Amino acid sequence: MSPSSHDRGPDLTLVSEAAPSLAAHPRSGRESPAACELDWSIYMARAQGGDRDAYRRLLEDVTPYLRSIAARHFRNSGDIEDTVQEVLLTVHAVRHTYDPARPFGPWLVAIANRRVVDGLRRQGRSRAREVALETGHETFAAPQANLPETASDGRVLRDAIEQLPSGQRDAILMLKLQEMSLKEAAAASGTSVAALKVATHRALKNLRKMFARQDGKA
Amino acid sequence: MITTPDLIESLVAGAKPVRRLRPPAARAALWLLLAAAIVSLLAISHGLRPDLGARLGQPLFVAGLAASLLTGVLAAVAAFIVSLPDRPRLWLLLPAPALALWVSTISYECLTEWVSIRPDSVSLDEAADCFATLVLTSVPLWLALLLMLRYAALLFSAAVAAAGSLAVAALAATALSLFHGLDASAMILMWNLGAAALLVGLGSAFGERMFSWVASR
Repeated sequence: MSPSSHDRGPDLTLVSEAAPSLAAHPRSGRESPAACELDWSIYMARAQGGDRDAYRRLLEDVTPYLRSIAARHFRNSGDIEDTVQEVLLTVHAVRHTYDPARPFGPWLVAIANRRVVDGLRRQGRSRAREVALETGHETFAAPQANLPETASDGRVLRDAIEQLPSGQRDAILMLKLQEMSLKEAAAASGTSVAALKVATHRALKNLRKMFARQDGKA
Repeated sequence: MITTPDLIESLVAGAKPVRRLRPPAARAALWLLLAAAIVSLLAISHGLRPDLGARLGQPLFVAGLAASLLTGVLAAVAAFIVSLPDRPRLWLLLPAPALALWVSTISYECLTEWVSIRPDSVSLDEAADCFATLVLTSVPLWLALLLMLRYAALLFSAAVAAAGSLAVAALAATALSLFHGLDASAMILMWNLGAAALLVGLGSAFGERMFSWVASR
């Protein structure tokens, strides 16, 4: 996909007016881009010479315009802002390539279109490989893991834990349900860390057997 | 994620005066001067081909030499112009007529003066010599082009790399024509168009990565 295949945005034309005073001009966003282009060109020429006020003014002024270009291609506000920021970074990196004798609009729009195309490519790649996580999604691929837990599932699990030998039951309750650390559980129960590990392992094995038996019956 | 106003502040804080690029034609001329210097040094160290005087009397050879040189010059100008964000990419077509003429002269030469390759007509020494000339001409030119156009990594690097590779390949072919007596048509094809196709292919395939790598240094 080439940048030329994309909408280049509104045409910008030079408007002759006196050289801008940095303090006198209203913020962009309330002015049309066409009226600003000559100013932008002058600001960029000053910025190339190291004038930071002119540079700040330029970047702040072009941002709404860049946002409008990005908004034509992206719906997500995060993607729009990402694209705007990438355009600003590119403008910063290649600002020495701007020739003040030439119009500023085509220079800026060409860079913006390039970053939009990059963004669209990146979006296409990520869509092909990734699934966006939304509220309804969980972190596990297995469908069973994503089913909402029902009250009966919890009751079945608690009943199964109750049937475990006391050592194994305490280990599961402390380490898995109360999420205590091994050290904390060892201190609370008065047993060693190694014994807790063994008890947890056996408890999980027994629980697995119990549920397998129940599934077999069902 | 940094907010856009914060990003602007950080960019402004790091904004230092920059030197504007010279016009693309002037920068292309500088690069071509380097190419001329390399070819001159090779001519001094290697010596021109013995039959160059006689060959320069043949219109077909002169047309081919001029076409390859013109292709190199125009492709270099196109690469420097297209590397700028606001220049139309139609400039990539600038070397097309010269390239067509160059390919035509080589094709015509091959059709009319086909010389079959005998076992003793292609010596390993000659092939190695041709390869050395190709490398000695194209590698420094490629490196210089990468440095001069490194900012293109952020813009249209594939197009710039293709035009730049064509410039390097055409100038390397011009140097080959000056230094080596390529009498076998298959050799001409291999060293001129084959090397050009290889360089342009490599440039198109890896140009973007190479520009990015140089730009990040």
